[in-house]
Amino acid sequence: MAKHILRGIAISVGISIGKAFFLNRSHYRILPRQTLSQAALPHEEARLENAFRDADSELSAIRERMPAELRDHVMIIDSHLMILRDPKLAGKAIGHVKELGINAEWALEKAVAEIEEAFNALDDPYFRERVQDVRLVAERVMAKLAGDTEEMRAIESRVVLMAYDLTPADTVEMETSKIMSFVTVQGGKTSHTGILARSLAIPAVVGVTELEDYVSDGQLVIVDALKGIILVEPSEEELARYSDLKYKFEDYQAQIFRTCHLPGETIDGYRVKVLANIERFEEVTSAIDNGGEGIGLYRTEYSYLNRKTLPTEDELYEEYKDLAAIMSPKRVVLRTLDLGADKFMAHFGTLEEQNPAMGLRAIRFCLRHTDLFRTQMRAILRAATTGNIAIMFPMISSLSEVRQAMHQLRQCVASLRKDGIAHNADLPIGIMIELPSAIMIAEVLAREVDFFSIGTNDLIQYTLGIDRTNRYVSHLYQPLHPSIVRSIKHAVDAAHQAGIEVSLCGEMASDPYCIPILLGMQIDTISLNPQAIPGIKRIIRQTTMEECKSLLRQVLQSTAVSTSNHLVQNRIFQRFPEELTFFSSLLDTEEVPLS
Amino acid sequence: MNDSMHSEELASETGQVGVVAENGAGVCSVQVCVINDQGLHARPAARLAQEAQKFKSMITLCQADTEVDAKSILDILTLAAGQGSNLELRAEGDDASEALDHLSEMFKNRFR
Repeated sequence: MAKHILRGIAISVGISIGKAFFLNRSHYRILPRQTLSQAALPHEEARLENAFRDADSELSAIRERMPAELRDHVMIIDSHLMILRDPKLAGKAIGHVKELGINAEWALEKAVAEIEEAFNALDDPYFRERVQDVRLVAERVMAKLAGDTEEMRAIESRVVLMAYDLTPADTVEMETSKIMSFVTVQGGKTSHTGILARSLAIPAVVGVTELEDYVSDGQLVIVDALKGIILVEPSEEELARYSDLKYKFEDYQAQIFRTCHLPGETIDGYRVKVLANIERFEEVTSAIDNGGEGIGLYRTEYSYLNRKTLPTEDELYEEYKDLAAIMSPKRVVLRTLDLGADKFMAHFGTLEEQNPAMGLRAIRFCLRHTDLFRTQMRAILRAATTGNIAIMFPMISSLSEVRQAMHQLRQCVASLRKDGIAHNADLPIGIMIELPSAIMIAEVLAREVDFFSIGTNDLIQYTLGIDRTNRYVSHLYQPLHPSIVRSIKHAVDAAHQAGIEVSLCGEMASDPYCIPILLGMQIDTISLNPQAIPGIKRIIRQTTMEECKSLLRQVLQSTAVSTSNHLVQNRIFQRFPEELTFFSSLLDTEEVPLS
Repeated sequence: MNDSMHSEELASETGQVGVVAENGAGVCSVQVCVINDQGLHARPAARLAQEAQKFKSMITLCQADTEVDAKSILDILTLAAGQGSNLELRAEGDDASEALDHLSEMFKNRFR
């Protein structure tokens, strides 16, 4: 057994085995503090000036090397450069050396502390947090004062890079050929690190909270970015097993990539469209590269989060237009704002709700804040002139909500017409089916719209009444619970009876174990995270509709989750042994012992 | 905090700014309004400081009774000037009026 096993979130798949290398930006916390003789001061001033100058040329060089697709980050680097050149930082620090007769590190620390004080006094959280930028800049200068030994460029051999967090500048700076994978304490699926890791195809695990406590420089680690596990000082047996797995996985990856651009079609000719779910504009490249036949779900929330004011109609229009243009003639489904529950805009603040998951979120939020809703819809209607855009309303629970949303949409069309602004009012309109109520009235809803998209993540949580992030009940999150399978089947049938298409955009679509029964239901489209597309397409292309239908029949007859899971796992195990090795599945839920 | 005493007459969605006025002692000033959506956040503050540094004059940015150095991004950020804030730009030196023309134009153009 390994000395320690740490868990995190795998954000870019793969396996790597190597020595841990800590990008230790906190080393300066043990600061040398000295008072110096008058004679030593000019030398100390020069040290500080040189450190600022070196940090400046380093950052400027990073800026120059910034690839075009990261141009947004150039702005962050520009503001860091301005801070670096700011008389308030460098000037104060140099002043302290002169006036107080102290060493450069101490003087810089004092200057940062004074600036921090000024920022801490601000009421506005956005401005208050800008002190983080000051700290990052100061750390860069501190590193220069310390002689820079631990900087990225010092990385000699291929290593597993470990850090508390990676800044955009860090990731641009690193020579990726020397990095086998990265592991961070902070970060989520859609962090900057995640997007970069995926675009460079480097395995990455984030959110490893115990990283700094259990791993030190030079230790041998295995990064299993399939399951999100870090093995620290693994045993011989684990090393052998993972070396083998790594080799097989790379071989498998190469194989599935070669075929990911082929259509998702079963051996007996059933065609299912395979689209990508994305959240940020930058992810569009990975959607295309992985064989996505369009964007089945664009989560538009990102442009609203982490900012103080609302985006304008023009800003949104530009964003949607660019997305549509890149994907054209392929479909892009824009889901209108799905805020509330765990996602909030600074603009509105956190609502005081007892039970936010059941509160003012998604379409309910938009129907309450119609100004915001209309701004977004006007932008969508305008962008729809430039590509194949569809609009989709989340979390519909009743007929009246669909009608209210449509009413708002029609008002936007009318106002655009009145303003003489080009728009396309004929775009397809869809709704998310993710509440049990919507399932029960699916026949009614299907007559009102052009397509359904089943959001299984929420459907499972609301149907089974469990919060999957709650460790005591997360094992009850069961996609093959008979109620879920029947719900999905009901929605698909209702859509088809009404002659509309139905898509599925939850995590079930990226689960190899769930795919066959979804195909058996004759789902028209699936939409999943870009990285999972090649593997899922491969399964679709190697199966037949006949076997999917027979499996579905058996699962529909089963009255217990365990029977359904067993049936499905056996089938996949016989037919696709490789997928069993490489994919984690929603069906592998572990019960947490109550201690 | 963002409301200066002139806010009623100066707050303007078009970013209309006052006329550069000289008081005789080589000090020029102009009223500006922050009209870009996010206020004087990191990127516009960086742009403003960068442009201000191109002039020889001493340039200050005033909000109510707070005065900061317009050549310092850190100073600008500590104003925490949100959208709709009315500020006064002051410059003293040979190129003062040129500086104010240029900088107030940036406010108008939302720092693009």
